[in-house]
Amino acid sequence: MKIEERLSLLNYKIDKSYEHITVNPSICETCPDHFCTFACPAKCYSLIDKKLNFKYEDCVECGTCDTACSHGSVAWTNTKGGHGVKYKFG
Amino acid sequence: MEISEIIHEQSYTRQIIENKNSYYGFYNAGSMSEFDVIVVGAGPAGASAAIKLASAKANVLLVDRADPPGSKNVSGGVLWGDSLSQVAPDWEKGPVERYVEAKGVSFLTKDSRISIDFRSKKFGEYKSGYTVLRTKFDAWLAKKAKDSGAMVVSGVTVDRLSMKDGKVIGVEQGGETITSDAVILAEGANSRIAIDSGIKKKPSDRNIALGIKEVIKLPEKTITDRFGLSSAKMGFASEYVLGFLEGGVRAGGFLYTNKESLSIGAVISMGDLRKNNQTYSFNIIEQFKEHPFIAPLLEGGRVEEYSAHLVPEGGLTVDSIYGKGYMIAGDAAGFTFSNGLVLQGMNYAVVSGIVAADSFLQRKEKGIEAGANFSNYMDNLSGTFVMKDMKNFKGVDAVTWSKSIHQTIPAIAEEAMLNIFSENGEPKKHMLKILLKSMAGRKESKKELAVDLYRMMRRL
Repeated sequence: MKIEERLSLLNYKIDKSYEHITVNPSICETCPDHFCTFACPAKCYSLIDKKLNFKYEDCVECGTCDTACSHGSVAWTNTKGGHGVKYKFG
Repeated sequence: MEISEIIHEQSYTRQIIENKNSYYGFYNAGSMSEFDVIVVGAGPAGASAAIKLASAKANVLLVDRADPPGSKNVSGGVLWGDSLSQVAPDWEKGPVERYVEAKGVSFLTKDSRISIDFRSKKFGEYKSGYTVLRTKFDAWLAKKAKDSGAMVVSGVTVDRLSMKDGKVIGVEQGGETITSDAVILAEGANSRIAIDSGIKKKPSDRNIALGIKEVIKLPEKTITDRFGLSSAKMGFASEYVLGFLEGGVRAGGFLYTNKESLSIGAVISMGDLRKNNQTYSFNIIEQFKEHPFIAPLLEGGRVEEYSAHLVPEGGLTVDSIYGKGYMIAGDAAGFTFSNGLVLQGMNYAVVSGIVAADSFLQRKEKGIEAGANFSNYMDNLSGTFVMKDMKNFKGVDAVTWSKSIHQTIPAIAEEAMLNIFSENGEPKKHMLKILLKSMAGRKESKKELAVDLYRMMRRL
């Protein structure tokens, strides 16, 4: 089962006014490993034309990327106001 | 809405404004704090602490960033033991799934499964555990806290601890400070507040693993029949060593039966995933699901949910579980246990939450000052299985994540079993000879295996 299909099963309350994770593009540009693209279980990080693309909307708020990125690019905060992923089972 | 407005509104609607000078009107004499205790995080640790405190008439605020409370919480899914009965005697009648009457441990190689399938009539006398689905279960626990008299606020994210003169005096949210005599931090494995408040380091590859899980829907009867369970109330829980993964990434697997679904997942070594740097974390669980001895168990099932969560590894993940004005409980402190045979966290969370609450009450009895040092939390916890296990099994991760457990032993066992159980018309050999022959074919050094075996004897 493709990850996109699995993610489509999830409910999110997306916060359009606040991105709870941000990356620093100038760091990602020179990154030798892009480990985030392999580590993130929600495929929020992907390489498009060798450039790192990040989308916060699919994030399941596990915190993996904050440890995965050893180059200091990821700035991780909690979602606010009950936004973000909402599990049915957990 | 900001937290202060919510608190005011709730206080008003619950008619607990007894003191005209205060919005809150329920603080203890001698303290200027708005609450006795603010508990951050409505999981098993936080909710247990809140129930315990509220039952002792302390003024408690339980705040969770998810709405409804618990709807961001994830775990593999077995709540072992009976610790929860201390705060919720009727918990077994709550939204639990199945009682574990069958426990498995398996090594999976590419083509084989080597298992222990333990079933016992005595699981009625000896407590095992219940499978649970956390969104339902944690909401139920938070409701218990509310019914006990705690104020429960959900959908509000605490920004950080509020510090004054090196002491925690409450929490900050939306630019405001809500004060309390103590904060119990039970925010889980991804501990942003503790990290942002400077009382916890960011986790490293060594002290967390990545847990990925799916909930797969199946009819109740199919589950009962397929796993050979004695009734629809009874369940199966198994741990797996996934020794067959592409690229040699080490991971453990789990498979638990719920009433009408299966919880299946993988706990992946971050260090291995990094070293490999070509395997996608989200594909590892698919490899597990497609294994020839796992796929038939899932047949006909429909994936209902996908989730991911960090798993604390290798003991305490903080330098100190207490300080001036605060205590850390549950996953946030690193209270989890795994020796490869069993994976536990929720029972540790429950006990640490209850002991944190007790430690506050103990201090309060003696007249607490805002920002008191809760060293008694560590003292009290030292007498429980939580700290004893942490101490006795320190370093067990070196065994559970060893190459011997994940690759060498399963491979030797597989070859030995094939030798023992296949009939090829030749005279039979002694067991020892078979084992030595199986070992001889391996490229790993005998020394490495011997070291790991020694560690196993010492630490498991």
